[in-house]
Amino acid sequence: MNVAGFLNFRGLLVASYLLLAFSCTRQMPDDVAEAYRQLPLQVDFNFHIRPILSDRCYPCHGPDENARKGDLRLDQQTAAMARLNQSEQYAVVPGKPGHSVLVERILSQNQEHMMPPPESKLSLTAEEKALLIKWIEQGAEWKKHWAYIPPVKSVLPEVDQTSWPRNQIDFFVLAKLESLGLPPSEEADKRTLIRRLSFDLTGLPPTLTEIQEFLQDSSVNAYEKLVDRLMASPEYGERWCWEWLNVARYADTNGFQGDPVRNMWPWRDWVIDAFNHNMPYDQFTIQQLAGDLLPQATTNNVLATAFNRNHMYNGEGGRIPEETRVENVFDRVETMSTTWLGLTMNCSRCHDHKFDAISQKEYYQLYDYFNQTSEEGIGYTGRVKPILDLSPPEKLQKVAELQDYVDKISTQVANKELEKFPRDPGQPAAESKAAVDLDGDNLYALGYTPNQRNPYYIGLLENYYRDRDQVYSALLKELKEAKRKRDQQSADNLQVMVMDQVDLPRKTFILDRGIYNKPLAQEVTRNVPEILPPLAPEDANNRLALAKWLVSDHHPLTARVTVNRYWQYFFGNGIVKTVEDFGVQGALPTHPELLDWLAVDFMESGWDLKKLFKKIVMSASYRQSSKVTPELLETDPENKYLARAYRGRWPAWMLRDQALLVSGLLVDSIGGPPVKPYQPAGIWEEATFGKISYKQDHGDALYRRTLYTFWRRIVGPTMLFDNASRQTCSVKASNTNTPIHALTTLNDITFVEAARVMATRVLQEGSTDDLRLKLAFELATSRLPQANELAILSGRLKELKHQYAGSPEDAKALVTVGEFPLPTGLNTADHAAYTAICSLLLNLDETLTRQ
Amino acid sequence: MTMHPIEQLKASMTRRSFFSKTAQGIGLAALGSLIHPGVAAGRALSNLQSGNTLSLPHFAPKAKRIIYLFQNGAPSHVDLFDYKPTLEKWHGKQIPDNLVAGKRFSTMTGKQQNRPLISPRGKFAQYGQSGAWVSDLMPETAKIADDLCFIKSMYTESVNHAPAITFFLTGSEQPGRPSMGSWLTYGLGSTSADLPAFVAMTSRDKEASCGQIFYDYYWGSGFLPTRFQGVKFRGGGDPVLYLKNPDGMTRQVRRELLDDLEKLNQINLSEYGDPEIVTRISQYEMAYKMQMSVPELTDFSREPQHILDMYGPDVHRKGSFAYNCLMARRLAERGVRFVQCMHAGWDQHRNLNYQLQVQCKDTDAPSAALIKDLKQRGMLDDTLVIWGGEFGRTPFLQGKIEDYRNWGRDHHPYVFTLWMAGAGVKPGVSYGVSDDFGFSPVENPVHVHDFQATIMHILGIDHELFTFKHQGRRYRLTDVHGNVVTGVLS
Repeated sequence: MNVAGFLNFRGLLVASYLLLAFSCTRQMPDDVAEAYRQLPLQVDFNFHIRPILSDRCYPCHGPDENARKGDLRLDQQTAAMARLNQSEQYAVVPGKPGHSVLVERILSQNQEHMMPPPESKLSLTAEEKALLIKWIEQGAEWKKHWAYIPPVKSVLPEVDQTSWPRNQIDFFVLAKLESLGLPPSEEADKRTLIRRLSFDLTGLPPTLTEIQEFLQDSSVNAYEKLVDRLMASPEYGERWCWEWLNVARYADTNGFQGDPVRNMWPWRDWVIDAFNHNMPYDQFTIQQLAGDLLPQATTNNVLATAFNRNHMYNGEGGRIPEETRVENVFDRVETMSTTWLGLTMNCSRCHDHKFDAISQKEYYQLYDYFNQTSEEGIGYTGRVKPILDLSPPEKLQKVAELQDYVDKISTQVANKELEKFPRDPGQPAAESKAAVDLDGDNLYALGYTPNQRNPYYIGLLENYYRDRDQVYSALLKELKEAKRKRDQQSADNLQVMVMDQVDLPRKTFILDRGIYNKPLAQEVTRNVPEILPPLAPEDANNRLALAKWLVSDHHPLTARVTVNRYWQYFFGNGIVKTVEDFGVQGALPTHPELLDWLAVDFMESGWDLKKLFKKIVMSASYRQSSKVTPELLETDPENKYLARAYRGRWPAWMLRDQALLVSGLLVDSIGGPPVKPYQPAGIWEEATFGKISYKQDHGDALYRRTLYTFWRRIVGPTMLFDNASRQTCSVKASNTNTPIHALTTLNDITFVEAARVMATRVLQEGSTDDLRLKLAFELATSRLPQANELAILSGRLKELKHQYAGSPEDAKALVTVGEFPLPTGLNTADHAAYTAICSLLLNLDETLTRQ
Repeated sequence: MTMHPIEQLKASMTRRSFFSKTAQGIGLAALGSLIHPGVAAGRALSNLQSGNTLSLPHFAPKAKRIIYLFQNGAPSHVDLFDYKPTLEKWHGKQIPDNLVAGKRFSTMTGKQQNRPLISPRGKFAQYGQSGAWVSDLMPETAKIADDLCFIKSMYTESVNHAPAITFFLTGSEQPGRPSMGSWLTYGLGSTSADLPAFVAMTSRDKEASCGQIFYDYYWGSGFLPTRFQGVKFRGGGDPVLYLKNPDGMTRQVRRELLDDLEKLNQINLSEYGDPEIVTRISQYEMAYKMQMSVPELTDFSREPQHILDMYGPDVHRKGSFAYNCLMARRLAERGVRFVQCMHAGWDQHRNLNYQLQVQCKDTDAPSAALIKDLKQRGMLDDTLVIWGGEFGRTPFLQGKIEDYRNWGRDHHPYVFTLWMAGAGVKPGVSYGVSDDFGFSPVENPVHVHDFQATIMHILGIDHELFTFKHQGRRYRLTDVHGNVVTGVLS
């Protein structure tokens, strides 16, 4: 169906006890009969019925062949309408609920007979039973799942309040609100708007000058000018880069044991740049998924493909390389699927999808696209091939020379091992009869060619043979050292893990239950899932073709999924609340026509993200106040229908950036290697058994935007709460409210230092306490305090000054938190008092929250 | 005129009255539901989400809380609790081929061609009235054998540490699902006014002989709201990060600042009417309370000497297993629902003859002390303690028989032992039997999902009914498996 098929069912609630055409009505239990009377006039398959079937019936009567019971499937029309297994009966007889076994079974009270069966622990409510009955009664119309049908731009709906809408978005929002009898909220005031816009578009609050300029600009397009200025600022690219790093599971280490450092940050800078240059999203997609396969691929095109290598990497000793490699391919498939298709594929790794029509075979068909890279699962560093070396030529040359030497010695060792461990051609030395008596580690080492073997295992062999075969041991030592030298030089070089394509394609098989070494006999070849449009005929059916297919104009999912993901950053939730799941178990869109309108418009604009964002923030819907009235809390507690703006805590990274900006500490340079700001002692040591220490940076590095903070995968930055773990793809942020957050913004050095530097600024810029308090308040909240607020602060300030004058030690301690130099000439007690006030202001709910 | 819901809320719950209510046992989750009807209490949320009518507990719980002493690295069942005289007789002889055929081992012994069996490392004897067989490597545990319920027929699916641990704690080998403690606190709420409901602590052997990492998803909340994740108490320094006020800020100044913060937030609340502001105010209060309760929690100075002695000398070393065991008791006393102490160091691939003793020394006395300590306080009646690893170890040797110094045992998922004690389980019982080689279960095999189902049952939860809908699927701790092991229930 397309979205026009969704029913606007307000006003259609009919007490329809006259509709007693259903012959079973008499047999309906009272509660079902009562629910039946409350149903809308017209039951809609996608809106009402599929969610019930999918949730309660598909576990046994859905796409998963192995789980199917009674040979009945209810996910396909023909199958659902077909004659039941070896009987004269039908589950569903359109128009005739009395003849439909489905109805009989859902109404049955017999434990042996009822559906869903008691042992499933699932049940249907009276309303759901009534809906199924009425749907059959009305002809059991079947529709394709909405998200698999390409979107179309519908005409703008009519609204009563014609003066309210500012652009197309508002017609859809207002029409819905009017249908529910909810008035939209008034527009937020200018200070709230500039604060909201600045955070949303750049991740930072406005400066006082920017606020003044906006307040004083009375031109009709003042708001639009502000939007344009913010979108043109370099901070825009940093702000949107952050969200993409969560999607791309970006981190500065591999994760797992040893957690070695990697150098993926040039890719991060590529992303900032792409956003700042407003690279069309189709290009953005193609370059990251398959830039290496573009004709005449540039260095930047190849760099973009580091997207596919940002996954965790398990290089533990004793790890089976193929298992690592296969897991990495899984991760690539699933990241692509969540990000572009909004489909959760991981179930299909092991079995046919229980709900969506994606078979295990189709999963491995997608897997085949990502199965063709030269990564072998062998490697223990953050620079596992294929890599792109961005170093100057002389450094490239050095690595090449060292590699040549490794190759030379490897060949010598290999020749020696042919003598020493005679075996059949093609077999590893470990298979030789001469290796029978070796212990596990040495045998393990000999399972790999000398070239593949890592220095640790080479060292074990070297030790073992020191007294047993000196020549061999010496060769091994030479090889170990050659590899170490090469690795040291590589570590010094700027090497980014990227994608390539092997010359001889790997064969792909379905893996039984997703286990790496349990391939089924049937080979699969790359293709896209059948429920989606076919691939365009391309020269080669490879990753590039897949990437182009994702952003082709007729694709039903990519534009919707993308628009929806970005919508959530402006409105708190997606139009489809399950941002990660557009499948049949996902939430239905609250505004289907709007989602489709935006998706089509996005494609028509040439996948222009800045245009999309501008459309969103220019709307009246966006500009509403976020105030919650008792009526709104009652009728729409989750704000699904957008009768008010989204109100919620800013992400932790923005809170830190805000503290740095308002204190004047922020160092706004863009890009470069990650930095290590303050972190409580011992965190890395504890996580790595003392093997890795955190060496905090100093000076400017302490005050860079949080985007540049070093991210150790096994223990992320401690001051961030609610952020994605950066271990797998994450498209949706959580927003919780816990005491741990309070402790962070109250006591973390970053925030206390920001408060004391902010206090310096306030003391220096304001001439009286009143002016200083107003200034501090405005820095924190972007507005001026009301009289009652100012009174509370004045009272507290007076008391604090008194307290700190009486405790010079405390005062001194507080104003010297952090490494930023303390200016001379300030009264320490006053400075401490203002520091406490600034800390308080940085913890106001209003400071922490998007209003 | 009707009162604004927020006003009603405020009227019913000024800050101080609100916390005095907690003291009477309303609990944080209940408070959460006051603040946030239908959202903060997990089960209400679950109702909204799943369409199921959940009312937890489903039936009368036997235990109120759990202390899980997780032994990372996998203790050797055949050396500690599962006595196999056959191994003594077969010492040095190859394990029968029919046992190992087709079985998967780690890469370390996967290619080893000789697999001689070796006798148990400790000397076994029977203890207590129950006559439980325990190795002399665990002398203190042997003394409390009559309080313990051994399951000797556990089996699991993974042969590698991290996936196997994740499987035990979250029901899936892949990270990303909620851990047991998250499920339980989400479902049952908190019973502590000034501490988190779910606390995780880690320790390792003194020599750090094995480099296993404690991943935060071992106590993660997966797709459940993040406030249900375990709060990881750190081993050294502040157990909770950012707990200490900055230098120069006294508790009095902090109190006064928070009072004003509340006043200012109330003004904003009257303007914006958002219930989240009320939650924020209460969470700042909880933060303030934790600043007191956490240091008090970690202050052992009032523990009598004989209690400290029972846990052993390591009890004074922050971050040791002994220290964490005493912390676990103190947390349980303060109403914390789920305490997860994880101890690494059991992965004896080539240092079995020495390192096994070290590990037993590290864990034996503290584990037994915890049971005795809880018992004497009557807390074993409503606390369930679990002790065990992610799999067992091979009855055959890893390494070479003539190289005694480097003897080891490899990972063994096919059968292993764990024990439980306290509320809900039969004391002095051994459930399930492995074959004569300690290789496979022969009677009453217990899968990890069965074990999980049993734990849930003891807390009054039907594991099949307790679900959370995420990405279109209803998830459970036990995935789609698991049967309650009724044979161990008291």
